[in-house]
Amino acid sequence: MRIFKILGILFYSGIIILVGLILIIIALNILQPQDINNLLVFMQDNPNSRIIMGLTGLLLTLISFSFAQLILGKFQREKTIAFTTASGEVTIALSAIEDLIKRLAVVVPEIKELRPDVIANKKGIIVDLRVVLKSEANIPELTARLQEITRMRIQEVLGLEEQIIIRIHVAKISASEEKDKRKKEPPEHPGIPFGGYGRI
Amino acid sequence: MQKEESRTDLGTISIHKNVIASVASLAACEIDGVKRIGGDFKTGLLEFVGKKAYFAIKVQIDKNEEVNVDIPLVIKYGYNIPEVANKVQENVRRALEKMTDVLIKDINISVQGIEKA
Repeated sequence: MRIFKILGILFYSGIIILVGLILIIIALNILQPQDINNLLVFMQDNPNSRIIMGLTGLLLTLISFSFAQLILGKFQREKTIAFTTASGEVTIALSAIEDLIKRLAVVVPEIKELRPDVIANKKGIIVDLRVVLKSEANIPELTARLQEITRMRIQEVLGLEEQIIIRIHVAKISASEEKDKRKKEPPEHPGIPFGGYGRI
Repeated sequence: MQKEESRTDLGTISIHKNVIASVASLAACEIDGVKRIGGDFKTGLLEFVGKKAYFAIKVQIDKNEEVNVDIPLVIKYGYNIPEVANKVQENVRRALEKMTDVLIKDINISVQGIEKA
């Protein structure tokens, strides 16, 4: 699969470089539009070249289609945590755990924004939290509390004994809402444009 | 589409895969903690044009006439996922056995998301 991806990337890079070169050649006036026209007319007149052109077009379409499927298929395959029960398998999408963690922002009022990223590997479940805090927050205390709440919530909801590693990245400390409001409030008596214009 | 078929003295009775999916969908939604049946982009489009949610449930019947059911679920926030998944598996098994008499091999649950109750 990897070799197909490399070939695909090389193929498309080649095509784009070729298109770029043609544009440069046309811009430098090395190739006249008339020459391109003559070439196209020649190819159109010859039945063999028309067949080759048609087949090339078909091949390019097929290659593009399968390459797109290969790339998109990779993105569509979602990562999950799985365990089996007596009746079958239960898989939990990591995005579902991310949804769960996002709801924690409501529980902790000092958090303005919370963006989780969950990875599951042999070590256990790794949760990367990117948070935006309000300015009054005590960061060490808050992050410790957030780690504990997140760990407890995941264990409680998933019921799994896996190791949970929670990494927090404080991305920004935003100004308190009151300051924001004060900034947004319009002046009490907004000036009328051209209010004094023309008066003596 | 493949059908589960059984023979009686008077003829054959065949149950369409959609019927199995429909029973499974209803049985899954009965469980407390299940918000809705999940799905992908395709099933989302089908739902948009008025098709039922059970299109997201995949039913496979193997050579031994055993049925595998894959159910994507969205769980309500605040519920224990393994517990809800287990209850869904049991309820779906019970409902399918009661209503269709098919041999059930696996009922696979895939939790796709969590939504507010």
